[in-house]
Amino acid sequence: MMAAHALIPRNSLVWLLTAQIVALIPHLPRLPLWVAAVWLGCAVWRVQIQRMHWNYPGLLLQVVVLAAVTLGTYLAQGTLIGLDAAVMMLLLLFMLKLLEMRKPRDALVVIYLGLFIVATAFLFNQSIALAIFQCFSLLILIAALVGLQQTPGRNDPVRAMRTAGVMLAQAVPLMLVLFVMFPRVGPLWAVNAPSSQARTGLAESMTPADVADLARSGELAFRAAFDGSPPPQHLLYWRAMTLPRFDGRSWSQSPLSAAGAPSVWQAQGEPVDYQIVTGASHQPWVFSLRGATTEDDRLLLNRDFILQARRPLTQNIAYHATSYPDSLLEPDGLAPLQQRINLQLPEGFDPRSRAFAAELRREYQRDADLIQALLSHFNQQPFHYTLRPPTLGRHSTDEFLFDSHRGFCAHYAGAMTFVLRAAGIPARVVAGYQGGEINLRGNHVLVHQFDAHAWVEAWLPGQGWVSFDPTFQVAPERIEEGLQFALRGEGSFLEDSPLSAVRYRNIGWVNNARLFWDDVNYQWQLRVLGYQSDRQMDFFQRWLGTADWQRIGLTSLGVLLLCMLPIAWWILRPAYRAANRQQRAWQKLNRRLARLQLQVQTGEGPRAWQQRLSTALPRQRSEIAAFFDAYVLLTYATAPDEASNQHVPALEQHLAVLLRALPRRRPPRPTRLAGLPDDDRER
Amino acid sequence: MISRLAGQSSGLFERWLKKRIPAASQLRLNHRRIFIMPARAGMGLLLLLVIMLIGAINYQNSLVYAVVFTLGALFWVGLHHTYRNLAGLELHATGSQPVFAGEEAQLGMALVSERKEHQAIVMRWPGMPPRQVDVAAGMNTTLALYYPTQRRGWLRPGRLRVETRYPLGWFVAWSLVDLDWQVLVYPKPLDLPLPGMHGTGEGQGDQQMVEGVDDFQGLRDYQPGDSKKRLDWRAWSRGQGLHSKIFADPQHDSQWLRLEQAPGQTLELQLGCMAGWVLKLERRRQPYGLELPGARIQPAVGEAHQSACLRALALYGITE
Repeated sequence: MMAAHALIPRNSLVWLLTAQIVALIPHLPRLPLWVAAVWLGCAVWRVQIQRMHWNYPGLLLQVVVLAAVTLGTYLAQGTLIGLDAAVMMLLLLFMLKLLEMRKPRDALVVIYLGLFIVATAFLFNQSIALAIFQCFSLLILIAALVGLQQTPGRNDPVRAMRTAGVMLAQAVPLMLVLFVMFPRVGPLWAVNAPSSQARTGLAESMTPADVADLARSGELAFRAAFDGSPPPQHLLYWRAMTLPRFDGRSWSQSPLSAAGAPSVWQAQGEPVDYQIVTGASHQPWVFSLRGATTEDDRLLLNRDFILQARRPLTQNIAYHATSYPDSLLEPDGLAPLQQRINLQLPEGFDPRSRAFAAELRREYQRDADLIQALLSHFNQQPFHYTLRPPTLGRHSTDEFLFDSHRGFCAHYAGAMTFVLRAAGIPARVVAGYQGGEINLRGNHVLVHQFDAHAWVEAWLPGQGWVSFDPTFQVAPERIEEGLQFALRGEGSFLEDSPLSAVRYRNIGWVNNARLFWDDVNYQWQLRVLGYQSDRQMDFFQRWLGTADWQRIGLTSLGVLLLCMLPIAWWILRPAYRAANRQQRAWQKLNRRLARLQLQVQTGEGPRAWQQRLSTALPRQRSEIAAFFDAYVLLTYATAPDEASNQHVPALEQHLAVLLRALPRRRPPRPTRLAGLPDDDRER
Repeated sequence: MISRLAGQSSGLFERWLKKRIPAASQLRLNHRRIFIMPARAGMGLLLLLVIMLIGAINYQNSLVYAVVFTLGALFWVGLHHTYRNLAGLELHATGSQPVFAGEEAQLGMALVSERKEHQAIVMRWPGMPPRQVDVAAGMNTTLALYYPTQRRGWLRPGRLRVETRYPLGWFVAWSLVDLDWQVLVYPKPLDLPLPGMHGTGEGQGDQQMVEGVDDFQGLRDYQPGDSKKRLDWRAWSRGQGLHSKIFADPQHDSQWLRLEQAPGQTLELQLGCMAGWVLKLERRRQPYGLELPGARIQPAVGEAHQSACLRALALYGITE
């Protein structure tokens, strides 16, 4: 380090402020606006300190400011514990450090904090765009580090950037080897997830009555890759959770219904194999088709035949599953508790719906007939599929079924379940996604957040749980063609995101570009973000043909050394450039002249060479003379010490002027072309 | 006991170093002469990396892993860049001028880089403020280093530490070089009255001396050591050769300076006193001779004579 008493030079301060901005940018969108204001304040104060206008804050002020930002963090996050609050606090301290930075060592602390903050941004967002931006951030931070080491008074930001860039480039191969080879182990201890990453899309409960305008995002929920061609759209019901509890307004999950080993079921029909890749939702639910099984030990099959992760997904996950869509689920009868859960209805709500159910029950003795009748009711009555339903009052099911007739999947699924239960048929709402877009490039299905859907499962004796989709009766095109088609008259498809590429998927090239980008994202998620212990094992198995840790370890070390040594050699290779600047200038000029077919001859002195050049390039005569004068002076009439300090830069300057003056190509010799006819010249 | 052990080991280290990097007035830094270790900033970085790695493992976050590995790889790359920044640098000792004890010795030095640029090269002796320079490719950088002196005699500054932390500050590469500098340190001059001229006598002498300087006597051939001020430039410009002007010096015989005349409790003080006399007489241009036990310099005046006298005083009693 430089002498401890040295101050932080102005140049370094510029570096530090730049480094801070780039480290902070990825975090700012998540944080309240005043955080940016705090940074600005600190920066201005710091600059004023540097200009000797203001002073460092005193101890009292420091304490007050610290208390204020702690309070601010508490108010913004609602807690001081947990990752979000910790990161926010860290960011604020990172800014305040500016006001406490007196020695070069403090500057180092700022840069190290910056490196840490660059890494923490990835806990909240792992997109390709952020990864690219953070490469840039690292470059700036490393360049700042180089800038701090440069000799004071001889700082050169451009050179610092170049040095940093070269070193980072040299680090890349080794980084890649480490990335692939470093053993991935499970978490050392449980960590809580950053809350702001929790995705919208699926919620744990569903309250259609309160929704006046359902905003749907065009974000991707997950991808499914099939072995072979994907099943048709109308069979793609991706189950995420069941919502058996109803309190008169909301449908929600029931731990009693979900927890526990799966009930009896019989696999039937053709299996479908697929692999699903989904992002870190920080929720335990994953997606599967009906009748799913998996060998993935991170997942478990619930009592309600839903696949679920054992732990909330704090990272991208890729899993294989096999589904038997035609299976019989619990065909032999429901346990009494399950019977009760799936028939439960709150008292004092929706009398008209109950009466309607009783009427249906009187009319149809068999459950299957009753269900058919109910579905045709949806089909024949003037129901309308919309994302802008009216809000509903206390008896929401009644109002929807008999008055408004307008709603989206949640309204239909909720109402149908209500009526079935009122008629004594065990039923529940299933939430998940329906359909998806087939990406022909990757042979996989892209399921977006706007594909979120709700439908109904009813239990029939002998058949077990059977799925019904009342939305299909109202808007079959929603199921067969997707949401965009179903809403073509309403214009509410992704109306909140006018720039979403999904909106413009009917334009050919936009769609192609989007699908290509999607494929890149898929590979990113699968191969980069998803490169954890299981994929690493796969990789070793494939390339080394073994899962023996000892062999893997030795091979890794070998590869690491093989990568480290060439890098070391490359950095330490002898400099190949001419020994001194004077010779370099000479060589540079002659290389350039060679392109003009002018070559210095062996034994030709500089003056003779100059003479020849002046004849060949009469227009550049004066620039040539200036360079050669400087060269001759330097070579024959200057002591070495003097040379280095004054004359070499002068020579280089003359060279630059001369090079600029030289023609790009050899001027055509008029004599040779003169005799040729015009049309020949054109060829 | 421990201190003796430490002393012994440092002696061993010295001997080893002497064999590895022998004293030379010019040398080139290469792998035999360069040592490299992680600096404190580098240790700090490793600590940071460990913390980040734990985060990457706990959050199973591939991109945090990527940041950790990028910085880890950069650590490895930085090691070589720091080494390379020092390797190949040539160090030359250039001249040094004698000084009086108590002054700072000026040690001339040139850093020569044949092919590569060497940035932020720090030179320092233990416990002294560092000096940082850049050496451009194919260039010489000359500079003077300062070293405080205390005692007369030959000054041999210890090994100079030439180090660099460029470009990242994570490593420190250094060499301990002995550029074989030798600086003659004259005794610290004391301002005391000349021997045998007490009270008014000295003032009179001054008076007479001033007159003597003005009293032009003639010319003689130039001899090395004659003051430039007394050269007959006009004659030289006419092409008549280089001559020195001689001034009358009738009032004073040459004065002998003897060690036993010098007051002072210790030899050092006596020598300092004599050095003071030499300077004083030289300023007056009054011939003086020096007589030390075992050494005798005939009376004369001039820069060369003064240097010879001061040198004799500086090295009196010092065997080397």
